[in-house]
Amino acid sequence: MVDLPGKALAQELIAQSRAESRSTPMEAVIDAVRDGRFHDEHAFRLIGRLWTLERMFYYVYGGWGQGLELNDFPASVKYLFSRQIYDDSTHEMLYMDTILRQGWAPTQQDVFRHPNGRFVMDSALAYYVFSLRNFATYAHTIRIAALNLGAKILELGWMEGLAEALPDGELKGVFTSQFVENRSHVNMGRRIVEESVSRPIDAELCRWACAAVKADYTRFLQELSDLILDRKTVTTPVATAPVND
Amino acid sequence: MPTLKIDHDHCTECRMCYVVCRELDINAVYVALEPLHRIEIDARACTYPGCTACLMYCPAEGSIVEVESGRSMVPPPPEAWRRRGSALPV
Repeated sequence: MVDLPGKALAQELIAQSRAESRSTPMEAVIDAVRDGRFHDEHAFRLIGRLWTLERMFYYVYGGWGQGLELNDFPASVKYLFSRQIYDDSTHEMLYMDTILRQGWAPTQQDVFRHPNGRFVMDSALAYYVFSLRNFATYAHTIRIAALNLGAKILELGWMEGLAEALPDGELKGVFTSQFVENRSHVNMGRRIVEESVSRPIDAELCRWACAAVKADYTRFLQELSDLILDRKTVTTPVATAPVND
Repeated sequence: MPTLKIDHDHCTECRMCYVVCRELDINAVYVALEPLHRIEIDARACTYPGCTACLMYCPAEGSIVEVESGRSMVPPPPEAWRRRGSALPV
């Protein structure tokens, strides 16, 4: 059997992300759940912000989808991507169902207007979303490596920890029911990187993109954790580079 | 009052029923909290036979069933069209 060209790279990215997955800002929220300091209002903040992020993936994936034909990827890559879009849409529905079922808001329209569900431009959530959207100009393999072998592994890590700590069956179910799909996204990313990333320059781009997406996602998690636990978010300046014509 | 349920042997999980139910703010169609994430109908929230919007958009014959009679409501029978919209929120 021929070794897949990107196998070592996929293993490297997965191992790095797994090592970081239980040291995100969400550990403070998990501690609060364990200590009994996590109540209904905190749960609404958590689910509301996750819903806001999840619904923005329609916008992110819309941009990514436009670039799929440009690089002429095999049908399997397109199928896996469409499956991922469907799954993330499911997760958006799960969060909205929970908000309505718990009685935190009477209708979807109300959640759009509520501070917990409103999209705010000047936020770490927006920064993460726009950062992901900007990956529309990169090859699909690069951005899938960044998201599926980066942020999604961090997400799976804190979600597993949170679900284990949550005493409430329904809230726990919102997260545990996502695990299979989230693991599947990691495996999709692994397969795409293993099969399609062969040039050293692409491997370097994958490493850079993965680190960038994880940094942006962690900034969002810090904002989320601070909101849930009533802490003030201290924004760290984002590194910028001057652009000259 | 008669109630509706999803027949998972026929449903394609396209989720049009979910979308229209949510848009009408009835919110009776939901995603089940299990790994398959199948679509279900909450009979307590569903306003059938007043609202039949999900039946109008469902593309898969036999996938929404009237529980009491056991008959398929997709494609919707003529009386479902006549009742259409009578219990929608204003």
